[in-house]
Amino acid sequence: MSAAGVVGTAVRRRRDPVGVAFWLLGLAVFAFLFAPIVVIVIYSFNDGRLLGSWHGFGFDAYRNAVHNATIRDAVRISLLSGVLAAVLATALGTVGGVVLARVRSRWALGLTALLAITLVTPEIIDAISILPWFVTLGTDGHVPLLNNGLVRLVVVHTSVALATVTFMVRARMAGMDAAIEEAAADLYATPWNRFRQVTLPMAKPSILAGALMAFTLSLDNTVVSSFVALPGSTSWPVYLFGTLRTGPRPEVAAVSTLMLLLTLGALALVAVVLRRGGERDLASALAG
Amino acid sequence: MSGRGSGRGGGRGGGRGGGRGSWTSFPVWAWLLFFVFIPLGLVAWYSFGDKPGLFSPVSNEHLSLGRYGEALTGTFLHTFWNTLEIAGVGTALCLLIGVPFAYWMAVRTSPKVRGLLVALVLVPYWTSFLVRTIGWQIVLAPNGFLSHVLQQLQLIDGPLSVLYTRGAVQLGVVYNYLPLMILPLYVAFERTDPAQREAARDLGAGRWRTFFSVTLPDALPGLAAGCLLVFIPLMGDYITPSVLGGARGNMVGQMVAQQFESAQNWALGAAMAFVLMGFIIATVVVVGLVFLAVRGLVRYRRRIDLDAVEPDVSALDGAGPEGVAA
Repeated sequence: MSAAGVVGTAVRRRRDPVGVAFWLLGLAVFAFLFAPIVVIVIYSFNDGRLLGSWHGFGFDAYRNAVHNATIRDAVRISLLSGVLAAVLATALGTVGGVVLARVRSRWALGLTALLAITLVTPEIIDAISILPWFVTLGTDGHVPLLNNGLVRLVVVHTSVALATVTFMVRARMAGMDAAIEEAAADLYATPWNRFRQVTLPMAKPSILAGALMAFTLSLDNTVVSSFVALPGSTSWPVYLFGTLRTGPRPEVAAVSTLMLLLTLGALALVAVVLRRGGERDLASALAG
Repeated sequence: MSGRGSGRGGGRGGGRGGGRGSWTSFPVWAWLLFFVFIPLGLVAWYSFGDKPGLFSPVSNEHLSLGRYGEALTGTFLHTFWNTLEIAGVGTALCLLIGVPFAYWMAVRTSPKVRGLLVALVLVPYWTSFLVRTIGWQIVLAPNGFLSHVLQQLQLIDGPLSVLYTRGAVQLGVVYNYLPLMILPLYVAFERTDPAQREAARDLGAGRWRTFFSVTLPDALPGLAAGCLLVFIPLMGDYITPSVLGGARGNMVGQMVAQQFESAQNWALGAAMAFVLMGFIIATVVVVGLVFLAVRGLVRYRRRIDLDAVEPDVSALDGAGPEGVAA
């Protein structure tokens, strides 16, 4: 880790004991934050039969994971629902975020309140409420689309990510001058052209960041997904959660490691996009 | 969409502007109502019903508050208190680790390193919640490497017996929600003014005094946000206790799920869900009020600063820990 080098120079520079104590605390917290991730990565090279008991070093887990059709299907369903949910949540969230940043009305306030409620609702409550609704619509309401497992996953993942994307776009647009859009209107741009040529480019960094956030939220969603999932459309976290009952095998650590790399790639992409968009503070952009 | 009320629209557009812009958000409204709030309403409706027989999960023929009564007397209440304790202790521990850590990141490191440190905090936060929790399961397992090392060092007699206890759940939730405490605190500390700290130092305040009477009051919004961001998802956590808790580390989220899955008593499960939801919303309101009160108190004390410096600064020292409690 490159932080180690930084620590060395800093300690040499300042002899202040409080400073040293802070650096030790910082290192300890980072060690704590990374401990289980490092463990998963190491145990993905476990040659044993069970994930938890170390047998020997090897690449068997990766080989077995690639040849396991169930795992392949689960990962495929996860990636597919992640992309679809990201597209939907981003489209809806962009519209919502722009409106919330530009319009001050009772309706906007109401929308903010509804989105805030979805943010504080525990996932388990989302799960138990959406399942009866899907069943009602799918069987009694004759909406066969909702009997499709992938459609169900995309719908719930979109709902989970919608508030986050909306608030990210709103934060970005609130920092942009509304006069630019007004100027476009004064110059007789139609509302659609104004949105496409002026508003969208201004919101672009937050839209891309929001899309990737929605994708990772979808990729990670376990609780709601395991409630609504149907046979044949098991997503990766649902499969992973299911293996815990029987004892997970090293294959799941191998796939988790690959998914981790994918997520890190997404995070790096967000950072680059934000930097290019002139956003310096990654934390405040992501925290909303 | 936006910017109606001006230019071309002139005086005419002012009234219609808000309505027209809000109309654009119709798809978001429609999605939220159809896929979030109608389902929630349906479950609210279930919570007033009952379980009519062995093979039917819910019936609303006889409406009553009976399920709420049932939820508030039985094992649910016991589990609820358990959850509340885990959430309270978890939030306090996150605060205890998060405040000095975020302060270090935002104030004591050079601006060049900060971006990297924030990214390093975000990496675990962006990694799958479930995978990280399984990582702890491996670490804490009785036949795992940590158990072996501790036994070799003779620090423990038998195999490590933490997994599937409340201790493991406590560790797991502190771990899982710590980034949510660090990030808002970091943003808040980073926005505080270094000149104010220097001024406090120049006026003779020590490190602690400077921190508790200058820096921390300025970071109160971040503190309140961090506590809410940790406490709220923690109360409804389902994964951490399922992976690390086993039978002995039960939390309310699991009880709600059980009613809908194995017990097939949707009415009771719905009532439990709404007790939890009501509690969470009440918590948001209370924390908001406490935050306003503490901020008002801090501002009030600071206002007198001009007249009498000495008694006031010590009074502010007292206001700091209050903020921590919030």
